[in-house]
Amino acid sequence: MKDFAIFWGCTIQTRFPFLEKSTRMVLDGFNLPYRDLDGFTCCPEKSLVNNVDHGLWVLTAARNIALLDKAGVDLVSPCTGCVSNLATVNSELHLSYKEKNNVNSILNEVGLEFKGKNKLRHLVPFFHDEVGIPSIKNKIVKPFNGMRIAIHYGCHMIRPSHSLKNDDPLEPKKFDNLIRAMGAESVQHMTKLMCCGQGLDRVDQHENALHFARLKLKELKTLKADAMALCCPSCYLQFDNNQFLMEKEGEKFGIPILYFTELLGLAMGYKPEDLGLDSHRTPATNFLEKWDRLNEELSQTTELNRQLEQGFGIAQHT
Amino acid sequence: MLNLKLLEVCSKCGACYHICPSSLNMEGYDPRAVIKDIISGKHEKWLEHKSIWQCLECHYCLEICFQHYGFESAMTAMRTLAAKKGMTPPQVKRGWDMFIKTGRLGEPMASARKKLGLPEAAKSGSEDFKKIVKIYQESKKQILISKS
Repeated sequence: MKDFAIFWGCTIQTRFPFLEKSTRMVLDGFNLPYRDLDGFTCCPEKSLVNNVDHGLWVLTAARNIALLDKAGVDLVSPCTGCVSNLATVNSELHLSYKEKNNVNSILNEVGLEFKGKNKLRHLVPFFHDEVGIPSIKNKIVKPFNGMRIAIHYGCHMIRPSHSLKNDDPLEPKKFDNLIRAMGAESVQHMTKLMCCGQGLDRVDQHENALHFARLKLKELKTLKADAMALCCPSCYLQFDNNQFLMEKEGEKFGIPILYFTELLGLAMGYKPEDLGLDSHRTPATNFLEKWDRLNEELSQTTELNRQLEQGFGIAQHT
Repeated sequence: MLNLKLLEVCSKCGACYHICPSSLNMEGYDPRAVIKDIISGKHEKWLEHKSIWQCLECHYCLEICFQHYGFESAMTAMRTLAAKKGMTPPQVKRGWDMFIKTGRLGEPMASARKKLGLPEAAKSGSEDFKKIVKIYQESKKQILISKS
């Protein structure tokens, strides 16, 4: 596997360092060749920078990508927004020779050149495509059998598809496959692909942001999902923090919000507190209790199967 | 640059209304009304309207659009014009100032990192970033001068 730099992005390092912790634990657990690269800035955030100045958005992203060209490594990020922004600029520059030249004439001044030769991937498709489902299954020591988990893909993990090219933009499968590989049921729901709505908080429309969070949380509560799984710090902020704020005002949802790396880490046998689950504003207590209980039942049946298999060398009870 | 021919089709199509999360869930959000005004040259009134900031940039419209264009192009153009005139929501202004000053939207939390046992964060490229921003802004000025 080719070495890759991890692009943490501003939100994880500024607000949710525990998400960095679980990501590192999982990457270490699989012994993956990742490294921290000096010199990255904000990706930059599309809804902020691109709206104000498209040229600067392109230039800043191109500079981050040029750092990869210089180091000769791929990029993997646990933030959907970062990957989507970088990939969008990457494809825009590959399509315009003139724009690429303009960008490079500026980047040359700081000793960089945009080539865009390396892969830019989000952590979820990366685990699916590069690590692979069989290797992941091999690492699972405490599966989520019997747990009902609702996946929230997050728009920018899969869209715009002409830049990201990593899954079906309207009917993605990879996150589902990963959750199932951990033993859980992927609860299908109407708002599965709906935007989280966190962007509204960034333009001073808090009530509208809450409205979006409420739509999804209400549905998951009705469906009795045990948790929501996602892999985007912005969506995490929307569903963990805004759920907490609404519950403080008396609404009740009780849907724990778990990051992909937290779920994988738990299934690999790491302790919840080591993965940073105690830093969540919406507690995952009920989820963890049910999971413990189901695993006790599961270990009893495993023992039964072990006894049944004894003495049957070539044929087994099915 | 907006492609008015594509927007003309947009103004009559609206297939993405059935998939756009803001159209589906926010009262009064109607991108086609904005597009019709853009085509007839009456877009000015939208620049201070909250609608143009309600596009979530989820790219759903882009994916389903048979022109591969989408409402979002029009909304982004409106937001850029609004920003040029200083009509951005306060949070956008704050975020932009932070970005220009530091190249980031926040700095890693050193104490929390230590507590979690995380290594020191990689160095930010803010110095080089500031250099290229300066060159970029100079070159933009030059282009404006050469056009006038």
